[in-house]
Amino acid sequence: MPEPNGHRWRFTVLIAFVCVFASTLARAQTNYEIQVYGAETVPPESLMVELHSNFTVDGQKYLVDGVYPTQHQEHETIELTEGLNEWSEVGFYLFTSEQDGHGVQWVGDHIRPRIRVPDSWGWPVGVSLSTEIGFQRSAYSTDTWTWEIRPIVDKSIGRWYFAINPALERTWHGPDVKQGLGLSPSAKISYDFTRVVSAGIEWYADYGAIGNISPIHDQQQQVFLVTDLNVSPLWEINIGVGIGATGSTDHLIVKAILGRRFDWGRHSLVD
Amino acid sequence: MVSRRDVLKFSGLMSVAPSLHGFAQTPQAADYTLVIAPITMELSPHHRLRTTGYNGQVPGPLIRCTENRPFTIEVVNRTDRPEVVHWHGLFTPPDVDGAMEEGTTPIAPNASARYTLIPRPAGFRWYHTHTMAMNDFTRAQYSGQHGFLMIEPRENPALFDQEFFLALHDWAGYLLASDDGAMNLSYAVATINGKTMGSGEPLRVKEGQRVLLHVLNSSPTEVHWLAFSGHKFHVVSLDGNAVPNPRTVSMLRLAPAERICAIVDMDNPGVWVLGEVRKHVQAIGMAIIVEYANRSDRAAWDQPSQLVWNYEQFAGAQPESWGDPPIVVPMIIESKFRGHGAMERWTINGESYPDTRVAPLVAGRRYRLQFINRSADDHPVHLHRHSFELRALGQPIQSSAPDASKDIRGIVKDVVLVDAQTCTEVEFTADNPGASLFHCHQQNHMDLGFMLLFNYA
Repeated sequence: MPEPNGHRWRFTVLIAFVCVFASTLARAQTNYEIQVYGAETVPPESLMVELHSNFTVDGQKYLVDGVYPTQHQEHETIELTEGLNEWSEVGFYLFTSEQDGHGVQWVGDHIRPRIRVPDSWGWPVGVSLSTEIGFQRSAYSTDTWTWEIRPIVDKSIGRWYFAINPALERTWHGPDVKQGLGLSPSAKISYDFTRVVSAGIEWYADYGAIGNISPIHDQQQQVFLVTDLNVSPLWEINIGVGIGATGSTDHLIVKAILGRRFDWGRHSLVD
Repeated sequence: MVSRRDVLKFSGLMSVAPSLHGFAQTPQAADYTLVIAPITMELSPHHRLRTTGYNGQVPGPLIRCTENRPFTIEVVNRTDRPEVVHWHGLFTPPDVDGAMEEGTTPIAPNASARYTLIPRPAGFRWYHTHTMAMNDFTRAQYSGQHGFLMIEPRENPALFDQEFFLALHDWAGYLLASDDGAMNLSYAVATINGKTMGSGEPLRVKEGQRVLLHVLNSSPTEVHWLAFSGHKFHVVSLDGNAVPNPRTVSMLRLAPAERICAIVDMDNPGVWVLGEVRKHVQAIGMAIIVEYANRSDRAAWDQPSQLVWNYEQFAGAQPESWGDPPIVVPMIIESKFRGHGAMERWTINGESYPDTRVAPLVAGRRYRLQFINRSADDHPVHLHRHSFELRALGQPIQSSAPDASKDIRGIVKDVVLVDAQTCTEVEFTADNPGASLFHCHQQNHMDLGFMLLFNYA
């Protein structure tokens, strides 16, 4: 079968997959950094600078428990990730929000160390493990101190890419502190239409506490239709539109990630 | 009148139909026997690896022969798959050259074949498997199936006191996403003569010796850079062919399948490291200790700060004339994207082997092959059964008219590394009729279409 027809067929599969997800699931667990992690880490002596821009087109319209409504909030998150060695990195996040009536506000910060299985181990899938600790102001989240541990598994097979992040979250300060560990998985499937253009879907969920899964209405479930533009190994471009269906989920979000890697160390061919 | 040379040619023709038979049917002993069989390699005390080798060793046994003096070799296949041995750099008939694409009959599992080879031209050649690996990075050139083949000239000046044969090889390959957007191979272990640094015997030398190093890069895919701390290399031949302008250099660069012969004056007593220049490659083992007599110092390594090499420095100063201008054959090398999770497919002039047309040549004519590399990878390209002369290197591919003032002469090879986004030109004379395979010597590239057959009667 000629390649163009093959692309159309696979694109149809992806769209169908999105529709199935959208009809059964809904909203993302955080509207500040909407990203399914791949297992790869930033190379040593390199700094990855990413800007996450998320706009809630249709979200929560009312003040709930003192938390600002998400409707028409513009979130800008700066993520700085430094590669420590061939198998570890540490990331730092600065979250901000802009909204009519509130102006530009600092929301919080997170730090995220990560390690991965070295390529030389020859595992059939990419595997890494990140842990994220952070603070967010109570005006933006009732849980102000949180901790997350995120296993990451990914695999590229030909033109297909698969990733799953079965993240576990724990509130250290806030109303959910007694909830215990919460389950917030996310996953991604995409297809390389060309060397530059990939497209697929990302799924984000928050099921509530493990052992006490929330009713669907209280779950956060969201599916994004995304494209990744692989214009250069130094650049990361991800654009997506997400829809949610549960009452606790923002119903329509537009997101973009723009990243640039800076190599600051000595990178001679001898090194 | 039948000359001795004619007799030798006839025996070469006889070898076109090598005998295939079972182990028990060998009528008389061959001059050499190669047994292809699984072995367990101890690359280092920490790395044991199951692979396939020749006669239970890696590299295989050194085959020494004299130019134009025929010898027989029995190849026994004790593996569970068909095998074939390519006599790299020799002007053999296609039926025995060791490429199934040219018509060499593969040796079935538990069968053997006997070949009569007329070894020519003189120089440092080698032999290796010429099978496909595809996604099995333990087979074909990823395995230990390689060995040295030295064709001595009739008159050997022997201007050295001691010689060493060194094979650079990479092991335990795995796929890694690379900056070109596709998967490429990386390796967990790298060795010289099948051992990581310190795991094998050192090269033992004496002060005042002239040592001749025969270095082969048998890696399935990797270019290697080699330096010898405290010493320099006086390069005398490339791919076994004497260079017109021998030069003393601080390091060697060898693309897969390339060979370099270099004289080293042992004038700096001590214990030294001869190893890969790039730190991350030496760190996974590619180095060997060189130990002067009566010295037991800690091995010293002076880390070079840059990679330095070019072919042009060995070119001849005086241009030669070949008479009629050569027939120019443009060969556009491109890759075809198959996904970020796959290796690329390769095309020559838009065609990918085996879906390629045979390129017809005319016997006796001289050809100029233009390797126009539009891909993001460097390619060590090899022409079977012939040698070629390097004529132009590293020309920009955008230029419509190559800069003739940069033409070089006199370097004769059978492999040349064509840099990414450049054009390299070589010339050869169609003087060995039959099918001749042209391909990239990176195993993954030839597996994925980077091959083309020339043919002429």
